[in-house]
Amino acid sequence: MPLSANNIKAQNHSRAKSYWLGALAVMPLTIAVIPWGILAGSLALETGLTGLQSQAMSAIIFAGSAQLVALGMIKAGVGLGSILITTLLITSRHVLYAMAMRHRISPLPLKWRLSLGFLLTDELFAIANQGQQHKFDRWFALGGGLTFYLGWNIATFIGIVAGQNIDNLGELGLDFAIAATFIAIVVPSVTKPSVLICVLVSLVLAVVCAVLEIQSGLLIATLTGMFAGYGYASITAESVHDSAGSDKPDKPVSIEETK
Amino acid sequence: MMIWLTIILMAIIVFASRHALLEPRVPIRLSQKTLTFLSYSAPAVLTAIFAPIVFAPNNQLDLSLSNPYLICALVATLLAWFTKNTLLTIVISMGLFFML
Repeated sequence: MPLSANNIKAQNHSRAKSYWLGALAVMPLTIAVIPWGILAGSLALETGLTGLQSQAMSAIIFAGSAQLVALGMIKAGVGLGSILITTLLITSRHVLYAMAMRHRISPLPLKWRLSLGFLLTDELFAIANQGQQHKFDRWFALGGGLTFYLGWNIATFIGIVAGQNIDNLGELGLDFAIAATFIAIVVPSVTKPSVLICVLVSLVLAVVCAVLEIQSGLLIATLTGMFAGYGYASITAESVHDSAGSDKPDKPVSIEETK
Repeated sequence: MMIWLTIILMAIIVFASRHALLEPRVPIRLSQKTLTFLSYSAPAVLTAIFAPIVFAPNNQLDLSLSNPYLICALVATLLAWFTKNTLLTIVISMGLFFML
């Protein structure tokens, strides 16, 4: 079917709309990441990185928890090998995110796979999968991802500038921003008992591992939590939430979306 | 120079972890069971990151009411549960935290 000029215009319009909807959806999380970004910027300076290196961390790596942990290790004089192994542990959850989004992103062209891959953070994963009732929209994801990237880098920049002027910025408790953000993401996602089990198991194990200073505590707590949730769902034959997708009954469900 | 090397290698690891499975040529077939299992990844990993910050600041278990992280996290949990509003949850709990 040939596209008329009006159709093309309408298509561009809906792309822009999706883009800004994505930007809007990620806005609360972007605001929440500001203290966290400030912490990353100021801590990098305090660790002895130059301003350019501090900014490059956020611009090139773009992974808050990995950056903060690595800075702590550089400061403590830990070797490169250990830093990279720890980075691998912390970032391993992104493999799981990519796996979960694979069926929706892998059919897209290379430039989309590369850019959405680069932008795939906890926050983007959270907004792109929220409810899952609306079909995956690449423009929505791009808008969310780029907005968050910009926010993270501006916050880092503020941290670098402020860090040069304020001592011990890291002791202001900016790390609570991490907790507040993740609580705001996790709590509403607890929609069935199995997710609650998963969260509780992960929570207890993570705290135990932290107290015992077990290096791979993050991985242990995460995987055990996932198995616990999955196991509970299997044993109790909990229904996979099939109510999703019922909000737009006027629109037929496309089959190519699932296979 | 060492710092630049660290930054670049970390960037490669992080990007590879995010991008690899988005490539159709990386051969992995996902069953419904795998997808269900993966649906638990976000709650599990995010909890594993925030829980030690809240319950064990400075790597020491602190369940007392004098732990501001714990108080504010409880407030955040209640807000998130009852309002389902991300922005409200974050703003109020962080505001409270910086007041305490």
